[in-house]
Amino acid sequence: MKSWRINPRNWTLSVKVPLLVAIMMVGIATVISQVVLTRISESQEKNLKRLAGAYLDGISTAVAPHLPRQDIWETYDALDRARGGYEGLRARYTIVTLPDDRVLAASEPERFPVNSLTPTILRSRFESGRSLDIDEDAKLAWVRRELISDNVVLGRIYSEIDLTELIRERHEVLVTLIAANSLLTILFAAVGYLVVRNMIQPVSVLARHVEQVRSGATDRIPDREVSRQSPEFAALFRRFNAMADALHERSNLARRLADEEKLALLGKLASGMAHEVNNPLGGMMNAIDTLRRHGDKPEVRETSLGLLERGLAGIRNVVRAALVTYKGVDAPGMLSRKDLEDLQFLVHHETVRRHLRLDWTNALPDHVRVDGAAVRQATLNLLLNACAASPINGTVSFDARIADGKLAIAIADNGPGLPEPVAELMREATPETLPPSGSTGLGTWTAARLVLRMNGNFDIVTSPSGGTAIRLFIPVDKQEEALDAVA
Amino acid sequence: MENKPPNRRTMWGRRSVLAAGGATLLAPATTWAEQPPVRFGLTPVFLDSDIQLLAALEQYLSGQIGRPVSLVKKRTYQEITLMLLSGQLDAAWICGFPYVQYRSQLSLLAIPVYNGRPEYQSYLIAGAQNPASSIHDLRGHIHAFSDPNSNSGFLVTRAELAKLRETPESFFADTFFTYGHRNVIRAVSSGLAGSGSVDGYVWDVMSSLEDEMVSHTRVVRKSDWFGFPPVACTRTARNSGTVQSIAQALFRMADEEQGRQILSTLHLDGFAEGDDILFDGIARNYALVKEQA
Repeated sequence: MKSWRINPRNWTLSVKVPLLVAIMMVGIATVISQVVLTRISESQEKNLKRLAGAYLDGISTAVAPHLPRQDIWETYDALDRARGGYEGLRARYTIVTLPDDRVLAASEPERFPVNSLTPTILRSRFESGRSLDIDEDAKLAWVRRELISDNVVLGRIYSEIDLTELIRERHEVLVTLIAANSLLTILFAAVGYLVVRNMIQPVSVLARHVEQVRSGATDRIPDREVSRQSPEFAALFRRFNAMADALHERSNLARRLADEEKLALLGKLASGMAHEVNNPLGGMMNAIDTLRRHGDKPEVRETSLGLLERGLAGIRNVVRAALVTYKGVDAPGMLSRKDLEDLQFLVHHETVRRHLRLDWTNALPDHVRVDGAAVRQATLNLLLNACAASPINGTVSFDARIADGKLAIAIADNGPGLPEPVAELMREATPETLPPSGSTGLGTWTAARLVLRMNGNFDIVTSPSGGTAIRLFIPVDKQEEALDAVA
Repeated sequence: MENKPPNRRTMWGRRSVLAAGGATLLAPATTWAEQPPVRFGLTPVFLDSDIQLLAALEQYLSGQIGRPVSLVKKRTYQEITLMLLSGQLDAAWICGFPYVQYRSQLSLLAIPVYNGRPEYQSYLIAGAQNPASSIHDLRGHIHAFSDPNSNSGFLVTRAELAKLRETPESFFADTFFTYGHRNVIRAVSSGLAGSGSVDGYVWDVMSSLEDEMVSHTRVVRKSDWFGFPPVACTRTARNSGTVQSIAQALFRMADEEQGRQILSTLHLDGFAEGDDILFDGIARNYALVKEQA
C-alpha cells in the first residue's frame, strides 16, 4: 500500500470531510445513544418503582387483614390471585413474612415453605434500608415493603421481579439506535463525499493549474471552466488567469533578458577574443615578414616559426574556449577539470587589461557529474564580474574543489564589495526572480538562475574593508539535467 | 341405600312459570317479583364460584317454587348454619357436621345422591410426589383443613387423630383453614400445605374438572362412608309451604331439563328424602372429639 494511503495528511478533502462527518456522526450517535439509554434506564427504573409500588400496594391491601391473624391460606390466596394480575410487572415470586422474617405464605410455597426463614441473601439486599435492588446482569429486581399498623410492624412483603422485558425493550432501543445511526452515518458520509467533491472541484482545477505554474507552465484556466463556477470561484479563476498572464509576460521578459545578456557577454568575449587574437597577430606578421626577408637563415627561421607557433597556439586556446562555452561540452551532464581551466583564456583579456593578478587553483578531479555547460557559464559570469569589480592591479582568486560531496567553487576579488541587493538576489533567487533594475547585476542574476537550476546555492561574504568572496555549491549526485531556458 | 328421587312431574314447569308470569300481569294482587323471596343458603361447596351454576339453580328453584329465590352464600359453614338456625334462611345446603351439632333444632329436608348413594367419604390428600400411605406418614406436615364445621374437611381427620390421642396442633407442624374444599386441593397442589383433609366427592369431581391442579395431589387415605351434606331446615319450619316447595323442587330436579343440567354440573344423581341414620357416623366422631376436648 502506498504511504499516502496510510498518512492522513495526504488524504484529499473529499475523503477527509466525509470521514470526519462519519466520525462525528459516530461520536454524536454514541453520545445520543448513551443519553437515550440513560434516560430510558432512569425512566424504566422510575416506572419499575411505580409499578412495584402499585403491586405492593395491592398485595399490602390484600394481605394486611390476614397478617395479624397469621392466616396462611388467605395470605396465600391473595398472593395467588395477584399472580399475573399486574400488567407491565412480572413478579417471579412474592413472599409475605411475619415481623421475625418467618414466611407466612409465598406465591411459590415449595420454594419458600410456610414458617421457613426468608433467605438471608434476599434480606441482605435491603440491609441499607433501600426498598428496591436491581441486578441488571441477572435481569432481576427485588422490592420490599414493610406492613406497619399503629407503628407496629405486622410483617413484610418481598418480591422478585423479572426485568427481562424491560431489558429486552432497552436492547431493542439500542439496536434501533445503532441501526438508525449507522444508516444516517453512511448517508451523511456519502452525501458529504459528494458535496465536498463538488465543492472542492474548483480548488482541484486551481491546484492543477498552480502546480503547472510551479513547473514553469503558465496555462490559463479555460473560459469554459471559469463560466461553470460559482461567482466566488469564477472571480478567483479570473484572478488566477490574470496572474498567469503576468507570469507569462515576466517569463518572456526574463528569457529576452537572458538572451540579451548572452549577447552582451558574447560581444564582450568577442571583443576580448579579437584583442587576444590581435595581440599575437602583430608579432606573427613581423615573423612572416622576417621569414620572407631572412627565411634562409636557419636561426631566424626557427625563431620566427616559434613565434608564429606560440601566437597561433594562443589564438587556438582562445577559440577553443569560446567554442566549448557556446557550443557545449563533449559530454553533457559532465564537467571536466579542463573545462574550467579554459576559462583562464576567456578572462585573460580582462586580467591583462586591468593588470589583475589571477590566483588560480583547480583541484577538481578529471570529471565531475554536474552540468558542465551551466557551471562554466555561471563561473565565467562570476569571474568576469570579479575582474570588473577589482581595482587596477588588483587580485582575483579562483578555487575549485569537491567538498562534502559538492562541487565548491570560490571566486574572490578585492573590489568595493557586492551591492547588497545583488547579494540578496543571489541568495534568495527563485525561477521567477526578475533581474535587478539597471545595467549591473545581470551576469550575477544569470549565474544565480543557473546555479538554482542545478539545486545549488551561494555563500557570499562581503568584507567591510572591501572585497567579495562568492562561493557556490552544486550537488554532484543530485543535480538535475541542465535546463536550457536561460542558457 | 336406595332413596330414589321422586318421579313426579312438577306443576311448576318452565312453561307453567311463564304462563303464571303472564297471568300475573292481569292479576290485581301483588306481582310475582314483589313476593318475598325464598332464602336458600349454600355452604362453600366446590362450585361456589360458578356464577352460571348459581344463576341456573336460582332460576330453577324460582321456576319450581313460583316465587323469587335468593341464594345466600357465606364464607363459612358456621355463618350459614347460624343464619338457618336464626330463621334468616328457609332452608340451606349445609354439611353433615353442623347438622349433627344442631340435630335437635334442624330437620333433614333432602339429601343429594352421588354415584347412586347418599353418602360420601373424606380424603386425606398429599402432594403427588409424597409417598405417604397413612395418616402416620403425614406427621409434621403443614396440614390444610377446609372448615372447622366441615365433616370431611376437618372432623374426620380430627377424630382420627383423637383415636391416636393426638390433636392437629400436636400432630402437624402447622394447620390452617381454607374455607373451601377446592382451596384445600389448591393449597396441597401448590405446596403451601403438605397434606389436607378434603371432601372425597369434591376431589373426585375436581379431578375431572381441573385435572391439572388435582394431578399435583394424591389420595393418601379414604375414610368411612358418611351421610352426604344434606339440605336442612329448622324443625319449626319443616311443614311450611315454602320449605315443602323447596323439597319438592329438589326432588323433581332429576325430572326437569334445567334440573338435570344442574345435577350434571354438580355430578349428582338427584336429591332424595334422607334418613337421619346416615349421620350417625358423624355423630360418633363428634362425640369422640368432644370427649378428647
